[in-house]
Amino acid sequence: MVRVEALEKAYPGRKGEPPVKAVNNISFSVGEGSLVGLLGPNGAGKTTTVKMLCGLVKPDSGRIFINGKELTKRRIPALAEVSAVLEGNRNVYWRLTARENLEFFAALKGLNPAALRSEIDYYLEFFQLVEKSDVEARKLSRGMQQKLAIAAALIANSKVVLLDEPTLGLDVQASYEIRQLLKKIVEEQGRTVILTTHDMNVVQDTCERVIIINQGKIVADDSVHNLLDLFRMKVYKIVIQGELNAEQRQALGAMEEVVIEEESPQRTVISVRLEGSQILYDVIGILGSYNSVLESIDQEQNNFERVFLEILKGGVESA
Amino acid sequence: MPKLILFAAFFKKEFILFRRYLVNSLGGMLTIYIVFLLLFGGYRGFASMAGAVGGSGIENLVVGYVLWFFMLTTYQDVFHTILLEARQGTLEQLYMSVHGFGWVMGAKAAAGFVVNLIFVVVLLIAAMLTSGVTLRLDVLSLFPVLLGTLLGVLGVGFAIGGVTLILKRIESYTQMVQFLLIGLIAVPAERFVVFRLLPGSYGAVLIREIMVNGKNLLELGVGNVLVMYLIGFAHLFLGYAFYKVCERKAMIQGTLGHY
Repeated sequence: MVRVEALEKAYPGRKGEPPVKAVNNISFSVGEGSLVGLLGPNGAGKTTTVKMLCGLVKPDSGRIFINGKELTKRRIPALAEVSAVLEGNRNVYWRLTARENLEFFAALKGLNPAALRSEIDYYLEFFQLVEKSDVEARKLSRGMQQKLAIAAALIANSKVVLLDEPTLGLDVQASYEIRQLLKKIVEEQGRTVILTTHDMNVVQDTCERVIIINQGKIVADDSVHNLLDLFRMKVYKIVIQGELNAEQRQALGAMEEVVIEEESPQRTVISVRLEGSQILYDVIGILGSYNSVLESIDQEQNNFERVFLEILKGGVESA
Repeated sequence: MPKLILFAAFFKKEFILFRRYLVNSLGGMLTIYIVFLLLFGGYRGFASMAGAVGGSGIENLVVGYVLWFFMLTTYQDVFHTILLEARQGTLEQLYMSVHGFGWVMGAKAAAGFVVNLIFVVVLLIAAMLTSGVTLRLDVLSLFPVLLGTLLGVLGVGFAIGGVTLILKRIESYTQMVQFLLIGLIAVPAERFVVFRLLPGSYGAVLIREIMVNGKNLLELGVGNVLVMYLIGFAHLFLGYAFYKVCERKAMIQGTLGHY
């Protein structure tokens, strides 16, 4: 559905400075009916990649195919296969109503809005905007505007939908709703959705697969499940009353798996990465030998945020 | 058919916004009319001091002012749309249209032409009633000449729009174009052939011939009208070609939709 081959892009540097390499020889492909997350820190090259997929930024080299059509050669036919929300809630006309926006975006994609009445009604209902269909977009909440922008991207029936930070700036409820709707779009309509996000909850909750980009290169490309497995580890958080004494501090400091996260006269928090159970007994032993009072021992859940940070630290080269 | 759908979508959008923000739209018209009143008053004041009230001067003032307004709105339909859409965050969506950006802007300009025409007719009637001049409104002759005149202005709009894509915040400079348009209408293109090569200038001459001197399309000479169209298309082509160069640069720099 989407195939990217050896894509490269450098932006001209400021006066006297060398060009800035934003995307460095990346290749990947995404099949029909998948929801893929494109992740990376700020400036990693995610947005540049998405904009190249939309034909809005010219790559220096490499090829992009959308549903078999080469976008890098013939832009317009390939654009019929792709829709995007790049500026979040700013991607709609604020002085038009929700319905008028959907009609206008359908026409931009070459469809007759008059013949799409039932589709427009469907998307207004799908995104819970029926009651607001005749309200100007500027009067809608940010979450509703975001839903409308996604609906406008879907109305053209494009096979591929690109979403740049679809939950940015949304409250918890609106973010959750958008995540559920994205899953529904893929499951019910078989669309291919590629999204960029900084929100690891979005990734863990919605994406089947993630492509992690750092400094313009792909550093990981695998399913969320596999990456969570790859970095599966048990981390225990031990809280004791009061401070550690010098001997305890020295003994714990010598252990690679132990991090003293917080220390104050009231309490001390120690995290222990478990690669074998012996280390936990050793830590408990050190604490017990000086009669430290244990307040709690909790096992931390492995989450995708931790996996993401490990990958960026160089925990994996490429999957 | 798809291009007609695109035009209909832009026309509907223009009409909705005109109707929804009617007070604002009427306010804009009133401002333009008040500026005309000031110009007209100033003209009469100077003319009476010089002892030359009346004659074709007032007629030329009315025609020139109305034509300037039409050229300005046409220019803005291209340049201002690019600026506004970039600022709103919707320019990239227009670029992702399957019609291609050239057609999108063409449809926007055509829809704008229809809406602007309503403004222009109202302004013209108001200006004629205020000044007491009678102008020939031979629609069959006026319409094709007007279209040809505006082609060159569209080219100017594309060229300035292209500069905006690259340099961004240059509004204070682009406002100078409205004064440049006055110059394009006022140059003595009747007497100096070289001025006819400027965007809209030859058309302005022909429009004055129709409205002030009462000539029709045949009396203007088909050859002259064709030359005017040729010049108009040349400006449109050059303006659009320049825009495409700027667009390519913006796509390389990755700043297409930025503002």
